[in-house]
Amino acid sequence: MAVAQVKRIAISDSPIPWLAPLVALLVVFTIYPLFYNIWLSFHEYFPRKRAIQFVGMQNWQQLWEDTRFWSSLGVTFVYFAVALVFEIVLGMAIALLLDAELPGFGGLRAILSLTLVIPPAIAGMMFLLMEDAQFGVLTYILNSLGLLDKTTPILATSSTALAGVLVAEIWQWTPFMVLIFMAGLRSLPAEPYEAAMIDGASAFQMFRRLTLPMMSKVIAVAVLLRGIDLFRVFDYVFVMTSGGPGTATYTLSLYAWQQTFSFIKWGYGATLSLVSLAIIMVLANIFIRVFKVRW
Amino acid sequence: MATVEYNRIGKSFGAVNIMRDVSFRIEEHQFVVLLGPSGCGKTTLLRMTAGLETVSEGDLMIGGKRVNDVHPRDRDIAMVFQNYALYPTMKVYDNIAFSLEVAKVQTDEIKRRVEAAAEVLNLTPYLQRYPKELSGGQRQRVAMGRAMVREPSVFLFDEPLSNLDAKLRAHMRTEIRQLHNRLKTTTIYVTHDQIEAMTMADKIVVMRAGKIEQIGSPDEVYDTPASKYVADFIGSAAINFMPGTVVTGEGQPAVDTPNGRIRVLPGAAVKPGQKVICGIRPTDAVVSDDGPIRTRALLVERMGHDVQLCTAAPAGQFLAIVDRSRPFAEGVEVRFDAAPEKVHVFDAETEMRL
Ligand SMILES: Nc1ncnc2c1ncn2[C@@H]1O[C@H](COP(=O)(O)OP(=O)(O)O)[C@@H](O)[C@H]1O
Ligand SMILES: [Mg+2]
Repeated sequence: MAVAQVKRIAISDSPIPWLAPLVALLVVFTIYPLFYNIWLSFHEYFPRKRAIQFVGMQNWQQLWEDTRFWSSLGVTFVYFAVALVFEIVLGMAIALLLDAELPGFGGLRAILSLTLVIPPAIAGMMFLLMEDAQFGVLTYILNSLGLLDKTTPILATSSTALAGVLVAEIWQWTPFMVLIFMAGLRSLPAEPYEAAMIDGASAFQMFRRLTLPMMSKVIAVAVLLRGIDLFRVFDYVFVMTSGGPGTATYTLSLYAWQQTFSFIKWGYGATLSLVSLAIIMVLANIFIRVFKVRW
Repeated sequence: MATVEYNRIGKSFGAVNIMRDVSFRIEEHQFVVLLGPSGCGKTTLLRMTAGLETVSEGDLMIGGKRVNDVHPRDRDIAMVFQNYALYPTMKVYDNIAFSLEVAKVQTDEIKRRVEAAAEVLNLTPYLQRYPKELSGGQRQRVAMGRAMVREPSVFLFDEPLSNLDAKLRAHMRTEIRQLHNRLKTTTIYVTHDQIEAMTMADKIVVMRAGKIEQIGSPDEVYDTPASKYVADFIGSAAINFMPGTVVTGEGQPAVDTPNGRIRVLPGAAVKPGQKVICGIRPTDAVVSDDGPIRTRALLVERMGHDVQLCTAAPAGQFLAIVDRSRPFAEGVEVRFDAAPEKVHVFDAETEMRL
């Protein structure tokens, strides 16, 4: 009996039974689609012939002349950069504020995480309503403050539509940053701050010389997680503007989606999503290298 | 340089009072050691002095000014923390330079002072390292350097040597004391190690459960411990206690104990019949063939110059440190005596010195 048990454990000592399910999942849902995508980018689907045919480098060449691709790339970069900056700065500011143990802040911290429970598409719908030109509460407030011309519908105006979408994005995801930063702040040792207090440092000096450097790894992880997500943005623009007006909010993901599913250009859609993947990988790697934080 | 004065200091954390009525004064240039077991409030008192903890009651004076509500940065003190509290993301140089940078001292002046401190503390080769790349002793010296460059009027040390190995500890002990002899900065040094207290202090403040038990020079607390607690705490080898009753025999007070009749000084404020506790330090026990304390040697430990005898006496274990000239063997009877002036007498009830 005992011997049999020992043997059973011994069999499980091999890593293969443990890894097999995960590897299978990875192959089916990640590796295979990736290679299929690469294969697809050298082909195109021809609806009339109902067939996928090899087209060589055609899809990749088309990219260079496709102004809609370049414009969607631009929109994606702006969206990515603005959202990231706002979410980091706001997230850090709120985290520092909530880190103070004041009465009621515990509740605030709990409420904060609620935005993360809402599906992004629903959050997009909420802001779509709030930014409605006729009855939107945000529109009303901005109009009353004189910050917005009464004749300008936020989401239907080229110059304001992207900002309108970004508001939803930042509203929903800043709390995510706050939670990560707060966890980071909580794990910082107290003593260096006491030493700094005696050394005469101001709150700002402590933040710059102690908190920021000690948090650099946490910040780097947050930027990486959020940055990758931001670059793939789809839901908010899809729900709120469908990329409009014109192509003012057409992001790369949305454009790839449109090519693939509306225009049934599977090959070109695959090419666009591969470009998106490549950019994310290059950016993430540069970031990891540049931000090689060391203590 | 400044004086530090504690005036009926009390401290509570919420509803829990951990310190009451602590009063003493530290003169300029003095090296004062706060001594007591873990949890007696040494760190708390030091942190109150630094301004890291609020003072619940009483007045805290530094340099003659009440500083209860003064920010730590304005108290002109420097502190060496128990686990050093170095800035983990700064190199050694910046750790030491930080307070000067914050105070907007000129760069070349900062450089001069940091390098001078590094020279004194043998840190010059490590200035470009991060704290985590240093050994415990080196970190400890960085913490000292950080305190030194500020040229404060009071140094606060919180068990700075407790994380070091025995040899380094002994070495740093003399280093710190020599540093003090040179800089003459008023120093408050917290430790639970009576050897550190005895070797370094000008004045020892013995603490117990948030109160002061005795204040005095190392010799005073060793020779005339104010209570059984102090007698027990001070001294490398544990003092021998024996309960007894005062009798007055042969014109001189004595105490009848299970270990026999122990003679005590006439000066001791004792009445016949009073219940007391006698304390005899192992180094004060003399081997004497007609001594009252009859013991049987259990263990003979040769310590080079001396011999430590661990013996069984009627009142329990009795420890003696004696000359090695006489041969001792385990199992033989040894009789001890002690000079009356070396016998410490404490009230059995209050455990205070009589
Ligand atoms: N922040 C705190 N909150 C509550 N109790 C504390 C706090 N800090 C210290 N104490 C209590 O105060 C007493 C003295 O602590 P401390 O000053 O650290 O002692 P020591 O340094 O002599 O070991 C201890 O009983 C400890 O539990
Ligand atoms: Mg302590």
